[in-house]
Amino acid sequence: MWQFPWQYKESIAFVVGIIIIGILLQLTVGKFNFYLLSSPVNLIVGLGIIVLICLSSIKRKSLFFQWFSGVPFSVTLIGGLLILGIIMGLLPQVVRLDPHDNSFYSILGIRQITSFWPFVLIYFVTLLSLGCLIVRRLIPFRLSDYAFYFNHIGLWILLFAAGLGSADIKRFVMHVQEGEAEWRVYSDNQDIIELPIAIQLNDFYMEEYPPKLAIINRHTGDMQPVEKVEYFDIDTKRPVGKIANWDIELKQYIHEAIRNSDSTYNEVHMPGSSPAAKVKATNRETGEESEGWVCGGNVAQLYMTLNLDTTYCVVMTQPEPKRFLSYIDVFTEDGDEYKGVELEVNKPLKVGNWVIYQYGYDNMAGKMSTYSSMELVYDPWIYPAYAGIILLALGSICLLWKGNKKKDTTNDI
Amino acid sequence: MTWNEFLYFAIPAIICWLGAASLIYNKKTERISEILMIIGILIFGAFIIGLWIGQERPPLRTIGETRLWYSFFLALIGYLTFRHWKYKWLLSFSAIVACVFVCINIFKPEIHSTNLMPALQSYWFVPHVTVYILSYSMLGAATIAACIQLNKMKKHETDPKLFAFMDNIIYVGFGFLMLGLLMGAVWAKEAWGHYWSWDPKETWAFVTCAAYLIYIHMRLQNKAPRFTVWVLPIAFVLLMITWIGVNYLPAAQNSIHTYSN
Ligand code: HEM
Repeated sequence: MWQFPWQYKESIAFVVGIIIIGILLQLTVGKFNFYLLSSPVNLIVGLGIIVLICLSSIKRKSLFFQWFSGVPFSVTLIGGLLILGIIMGLLPQVVRLDPHDNSFYSILGIRQITSFWPFVLIYFVTLLSLGCLIVRRLIPFRLSDYAFYFNHIGLWILLFAAGLGSADIKRFVMHVQEGEAEWRVYSDNQDIIELPIAIQLNDFYMEEYPPKLAIINRHTGDMQPVEKVEYFDIDTKRPVGKIANWDIELKQYIHEAIRNSDSTYNEVHMPGSSPAAKVKATNRETGEESEGWVCGGNVAQLYMTLNLDTTYCVVMTQPEPKRFLSYIDVFTEDGDEYKGVELEVNKPLKVGNWVIYQYGYDNMAGKMSTYSSMELVYDPWIYPAYAGIILLALGSICLLWKGNKKKDTTNDI
Repeated sequence: MTWNEFLYFAIPAIICWLGAASLIYNKKTERISEILMIIGILIFGAFIIGLWIGQERPPLRTIGETRLWYSFFLALIGYLTFRHWKYKWLLSFSAIVACVFVCINIFKPEIHSTNLMPALQSYWFVPHVTVYILSYSMLGAATIAACIQLNKMKKHETDPKLFAFMDNIIYVGFGFLMLGLLMGAVWAKEAWGHYWSWDPKETWAFVTCAAYLIYIHMRLQNKAPRFTVWVLPIAFVLLMITWIGVNYLPAAQNSIHTYSN
């Protein structure tokens, strides 16, 4: 061991060494504090990494750098990340540790792997190793290596931007009342922060899917059949179905309904309306029939159930949201204005280095919500991250395209 | 079309595929086997299209729905790679595994027709999931090949042509896996504000990629060949955890990725 050329034994010993150093650091100085890396520290560290990698080009012929940028060490590093990944995937991760939690896992720090010293160290050593490899392969530049370059340079840029940039990301949720403008948010410590962006909510709009019907036991509240609950999806194109022992027939469905004084329903398009259905249920064993209106209700009107016998009744579930959007105006400190924006899930608005997302609403009130929550995310490192993602995608396409062209040299076992 | 009609398509497809899987080994019936394979694929494809139209949304949301695609692509890719590499076992294995997944859908459907929540309504949805399923079926085929190779290695008769096949299908399968991951990242940025948040599903996807990277890189050299081949079945177990297991892990109880109830 430790005779050049180094192989797997040395690589494994090296990575285990890094992990032990990491654990010692974890136990002495506590978890890795990402905010120490906030700008401009991350820029300086990043520059340092790049300089170090470039300097490695002078020594690239040395046996140490051949090893440091070679296959056995890379495989071992990837293996280390894999094992840490498995721990992260098995052990529930927490955003914030309870200060009174003295369990072994919490003290060791593996409830927050992303700030676990061994993870951080292996991540940065991988960045260095991959960087040295790229330099070693770039210096005799070969156009035929394009697939290698796309994959490895793309991954390097992505790891670099994701790792160093994570300290600069800011995320806030802003709640805006209908008809009002807001520019303040709460920090993690519940302090009020003023952002350089103000949002005015002109209107909040929501569409819902037709709800489902279910049969419950009125005394226990259990949905039927208890072993495996069945639902009847309301769909006017498919008006018949069954739940447990009952055949269900949908006679009429009103998506926006208001209850009349005689307990029937009428179609009325207003914020307080809710779905209602007229159904007929037939018990397959006794032949007993029941027919009537069912309504899920909301904050503005009562629900309505259809009794089947002394125990069971048909109920309507709460409708699920189909789409929700906020009509907003956005103003920035610099005087920019974005008027009449429709902010919707999956359709965020970009304002400088900030991106505004439709986040949520008053879940109890549903479409009657009087406010809308927006998430504001600030990530100045998103451009290099996207550059890395694009290069990696090109690299993946090369893999699809070429398969493994080197098959003649590698199957020689 | 709805799931109620599934049996009328599933049973004929299973009969075709099982027929193909058994007839392929006889020189005389090889042609019939190929035709049966294709008919099975067409029948199954017709059901998927019908379901898509009937539900008015791509059938990609529940586990049962993704299993449909898995059976479909496994049979399709099994057939295409059989045409290319002439491995008979490849056709019969992929046909049988496709049938197993069809049977799971018959006996344990997990198909409740659920509505698409707003975060899933994106043009990224269909390419993201199909590319993943495509990749899973290729990596599945590679796993079968790896098991056969391991068996041969035990008898000291390693098959170089099989290695070439494994490497090729791993490169292609991994290419799709990475594309699925990257599309997921871009979509996550659009829907949730960040391209990578170490959500349990993301963490396991990362673990799966790392395992296949180990195989790809170890194959560049010829050290520890048995271990290298063993990486594939292990990686496939990790892949199964990513795909199905995550829903059951304690770490995933508040994952934003578990849609099926
Ligand atoms: C998406 C991720 C990756 C893909 C698709 C990938 C793919 C490949 C491929 C196809 C090759 C052989 C191509 C050639 O030699 O021309 C290769 C070589 C190599 N890769 Fe990767 N790789 C990835 C990530 C990594 C990482 C993270 C490391 C290191 C930590 C790494 C280290 C290496 C090394 C050392 C070689 C051998 C190159 C040499 O010695 O000349 N790769 N990779």
